[in-house]
Amino acid sequence: MNAPGFDPGRAAYYALNGAIIVFLLTPIAIIAVFALNPTPYISFPPVGVTLRWFVKFLATEDFMVALWLSLRIAVVVLLLSMLIGGACALALARGQLPGARLLTAFFMSPLMLPAILTGLALFQVFQLPSVDRPVWGLMLGHTLVAVPYVLRTTLAVLANFDTRLEEAAASLGAAPLRVFYEVTLPLIRPGVIAGGIFAFIVSFDQFPISLFLVPPKGETLPVVLFNYMKFDLDGAIAAASMVSILLALSVVLLLERIIGLKAYVKL
Amino acid sequence: MTTPRASADIRLDGVSKTFDGRVRAVDDVSLAIEPGEFFSLLGPSGCGKTTTLRIIAGFEAPDSGRIHVGGTDITDVPVHRRDMGMVFQSYALFPHRTVAENVAFGLRMRGVHRNVISARVYEALEQVALVGYEQRRPAQLSGGQQQRVALARAIVIRPSVLLCDEPLGALDRKLRQSMQFELKQLQKELGVTLVFVTHDQEEALAMSDRIAVMNAGRLEQVGAPTEIYDRPRTRFVADFIGEINLFEGSWQGGRFTMRDGRVLPAAADGARSGAGAVAVRPEKARIVAPADAAIAGRIESANFLGGQVLYRIAAAGDRHLLAKETNVGAAVRPIGAEVGLSWNAADAVVLED
Repeated sequence: MNAPGFDPGRAAYYALNGAIIVFLLTPIAIIAVFALNPTPYISFPPVGVTLRWFVKFLATEDFMVALWLSLRIAVVVLLLSMLIGGACALALARGQLPGARLLTAFFMSPLMLPAILTGLALFQVFQLPSVDRPVWGLMLGHTLVAVPYVLRTTLAVLANFDTRLEEAAASLGAAPLRVFYEVTLPLIRPGVIAGGIFAFIVSFDQFPISLFLVPPKGETLPVVLFNYMKFDLDGAIAAASMVSILLALSVVLLLERIIGLKAYVKL
Repeated sequence: MTTPRASADIRLDGVSKTFDGRVRAVDDVSLAIEPGEFFSLLGPSGCGKTTTLRIIAGFEAPDSGRIHVGGTDITDVPVHRRDMGMVFQSYALFPHRTVAENVAFGLRMRGVHRNVISARVYEALEQVALVGYEQRRPAQLSGGQQQRVALARAIVIRPSVLLCDEPLGALDRKLRQSMQFELKQLQKELGVTLVFVTHDQEEALAMSDRIAVMNAGRLEQVGAPTEIYDRPRTRFVADFIGEINLFEGSWQGGRFTMRDGRVLPAAADGARSGAGAVAVRPEKARIVAPADAAIAGRIESANFLGGQVLYRIAAAGDRHLLAKETNVGAAVRPIGAEVGLSWNAADAVVLED
């Protein structure tokens, strides 16, 4: 090896990667700067460091009620979409259903439609029987757009699943249900959980669907923040965003720790 | 040493299986496998050997026919109640479990007590020489070690029947040979009835008590390795097992005559007449002077195989014949030499089909 020379290809490669990372992280950095800047309006450059916006966010009851509601909804959506998406994926991959490809496309369709249309449609559906806007309606609406994420990740795992493993378990004396719990479920779990994390995040920062389905006094955090922003644009918004990001991040890390996303499965 | 376990006989009566309503994977197969026998299903890929094994295991239901094991009709018994050990070509080890957990699986499904499980897992790992690997995961083992775990997992439940689907197919040649010995020895030790699927004729000849040669879903011939090799009944078996010289002709008055009128040494059994074929193994053919030969030709190539020399001889009518001579220290015959082939009439195999 000679003295390390300048490799323009490699330099361009690093430059491009750097640019992409900067592009992705800049908004978060800006939010962080504003959340810590003491001026009562969004300004640059920052004049100091303060936690007053975090205090304001955490001390405002409207924010806290909305945050708590959003979290509860996201957890329910996480569980529902793992259950529905996981079961769906199993049926589509294994059930030898006629038209399985068409059904897959159908279940994936909420991803293709603009969420604002889905929200409007759901709004009208709930208006028809005049059930008004119950919180379970909101959960169902979020689940509808979250299921495709679980479906997609679970189908990916199932596509590489060696069915001989299930046959081996059966030949060793495991009845069909036992085969499912001992072999199938543990092996598709990483896919289901990865999809579940997406589902949680999709629900937690869901805006277009929530906009149509939240009742007055029962608004989720993104809706509350949006409404707040119409009148005030202070650091509390930025602080709320930081809290949201940290919450989402900690849920991901927690799930990783507890259930383990280390895939034993070849993906 | 463990006590020999009860082994069961297997009987297939007229078993057929069709896939997609068209392909006859298994076509009216009837077989009787003795208790404690090492029985091979041998044939090219797509001949129905694996499907036959999967029907015995219960992974596939036959369209027609019955399967008996140990005198009991198990055709409608689901896989998990058949009590058979199965070793897959891909090993099918549970990737999310350790070696010990893999081996313990079958015992756990049977509700065996935990203390008994660990003792029997140890015993099974001892039998496949893998003690000390209990806490590894399958991905941390070599192919040969994974193969042993698969074997231990299958025998730990003390099955009366052990089914192996090309279990050595993924191993390299050297390892495969040593595993052949070990598997055969283990099978005798356990006294288990073993059904072994392979496309490797050498492997089948070396290991089996009996072999069933399959082609296009049908049984071509069932017999001991020597029988299959020395007395193949059909053209397919003669051609599939080892190398052979095949002669087409007809039987007239107890003599085998080729189309060009030449009479070949062959012993007809009974009053055979009409078109037929005989086959001669290369090692049964003697290289002689052209004048004394049943068929003459010129040496085209000589392959030195170590213990033997394989000659390819070009004969009249664009035919190529094979002859093997044992290496007893004589010089390899020169290429281009005019020679002839001869053999004892008793060594010419009369093919029935």
